[in-house]
Parts: sequence; structure tokens; C-alpha cells
Amino acid sequence: MDHRIFFVVGDLIVNLLVGTLVGLTCAIVVGVGWNMFLAMILTMMLGMLIGGFMFFPLSILFGAMEIMLPAMLTGMISGMIVGMKSTMHTVAPSEGAIIGCVCGLICILAIWLINSRLRGARLHG
Amino acid sequence: MDKHTQKKWDKAAPHFDIMAGGGAEKRWKPFKEALFSNMEGNILFLALGTGLDIPTFPKGKNITAIDISPKMLEVAQPRIEEYDGSITTEVMDVHDLKYAEDSFDQVFTSCTFCSVPNPIEGLKSLKRVLKPDGGLYMFEHTGSKYYPFKIMMDLMTQLSKRLGPDMNRTTVDNVAAAGFEVLEVNNLFLDVVKTIKCRNPK
Repeated sequence: MDHRIFFVVGDLIVNLLVGTLVGLTCAIVVGVGWNMFLAMILTMMLGMLIGGFMFFPLSILFGAMEIMLPAMLTGMISGMIVGMKSTMHTVAPSEGAIIGCVCGLICILAIWLINSRLRGARLHG
Repeated sequence: MDKHTQKKWDKAAPHFDIMAGGGAEKRWKPFKEALFSNMEGNILFLALGTGLDIPTFPKGKNITAIDISPKMLEVAQPRIEEYDGSITTEVMDVHDLKYAEDSFDQVFTSCTFCSVPNPIEGLKSLKRVLKPDGGLYMFEHTGSKYYPFKIMMDLMTQLSKRLGPDMNRTTVDNVAAAGFEVLEVNNLFLDVVKTIKCRNPK
């Protein structure tokens, strides 16, 4: 992760925001009784699209790839979870938003962890 | 000259800094400064764009900078004039460099090979104008080899390539395929944003 506080806070805001919006949207869109597998695929795609499009305005402040990939991951995971849950029982929009927000937090923590493993110099030759 | 690419970047020039000049530049500034601190001798900077990288150049260098888009270089002009050193610009396509063989001690790129239509040919062209043992220093974003990031970058490329760059390039492999010796790859964010240091072994 970037250790500059502006970007740490920025990463958090972006992923909480994307997760909340995707969770809210999926709770509204998906109804009880939908085919769970189909709902999962559709909401994963919808979440990624929302994350991908939110990247454009948010990147102006907080970065490029460092915003796009976490936002799309958060969109995909929160869409999948809220979408699947909504096929089993009614999920209120506020509940969807909270679940999405938590997914956003988990996703950015996961990205920071993965990044700490991948970043750094590798010598070749 | 690749007129299609030139037109695409000419069109992007007036608004380019809004997307690229904010968070991304602030985020990448320390890494670019570290990479460009290697500048020495006769330097070719590829794809100067609107000159967003100029504030990260070390002072007092003599740099030849090219870009395919004259509109981009127009936007870059105030930054070129502010630079404490010398920057000579030319509108040129990397696939068709007008310089003689072995003209430069070093070549630098910054988010360039996401946009070059034929990256391996472009890199071969750079190899031709770079002196033997000369360094190629790149700050680039590339595709990821890890899932699900690979799928995401493939998806976003379908949109981004219409407006500007591809997001799923295999630049490290391309550099090796063009005949450079890759010395170091430094991942800055996942395996996507990175600096690449190479040597021309010819």
C-alpha cells in the first residue's frame, strides 16, 4: 500500500463508496426467486461495470490503476454477495449498502496485502 | 507517420491533464523522480505528451523529446519553457525514428508502450538509435498475469483503447522480444505499475 495518508484515505473512500453503491443497486435490482447462478454472474458484471465507471471521476483525485483495479474488485465481490443473498430472501437497500460497504473494506485490505507481496524490485539476467 | 494514432492523441490533448495530471501524477511522482535521476549523457525521451513528466526530470539535462501528437506538444510548451535545462521537441512516430543509429546514450519512456500500436517494432526502433550498452528506462503500466485483475484489464482495454491506451500490454515480454536485456523490473502497484531497466546488448 501507499504509505501517504492522502492515498490511504483515498483508497478507503473509493472502495467503501463503490461497495455501498453496488450493494445498494444489486439489492434493488435482484429479486427473491431469481436463479442464483444467473444472478451471481449478472451482479458480478454489474458491480465491475459500476466500479469501472466510478474509476473515471475518482481517479482525478486519487490515482489510476491503484483506483481502477480495487474499485472493480470491490464492485465484483459486493455485487456477487448482495446479488446471491437477494435471491434467497428480501434484502433491503440499506442492508445491501452495508454489506457492499463491508465488502469494499475487505477488498481494499486484500489488495494492500497482495500488493505488499508483489511490489518490489526483481533483478533479471 | 501513423495518422490514426496521431489523430487520437491530438483529440485527447486538450483534456488529457484532467484525467492524467491529478491523482495519478501525484501518486507516481516519487517513483518517476527516482527513475529519471538516472538521466545522463545524450537522452531521448519518448512520448513527452503534455509534459506532465517534466517536473520530475533532474535539472540541467539535455533532452531530445518526441511525441506523435503536435497538439500534445503544444500543451507541453509552458512546462518545456519552465524546465531548468534543455528540451528539444520533435513530432515523430516511434516506428519511424529519423535519428541515426547509436545516437543516444539513454532512452526514457513514461506510460508510452500502452499506446504504441506495434510495441515490439517500436522497441526495435529504439534499440537501433540507442548506443551499445545504452540504458532503456521505462515507467509503464502493463497488464496483470494474476486473476481476476487480468480479466478486469482485458475488459477495460476494450473501452480505453478507443480513447487512449491499452491496459493489458505485456511490455516486459515485449522489451525482451525486441532484443533488450532486462536488468530489473520494479513492481510499484501489484504487477501492473512498474519501472523496467534494460540494456542494449548489441
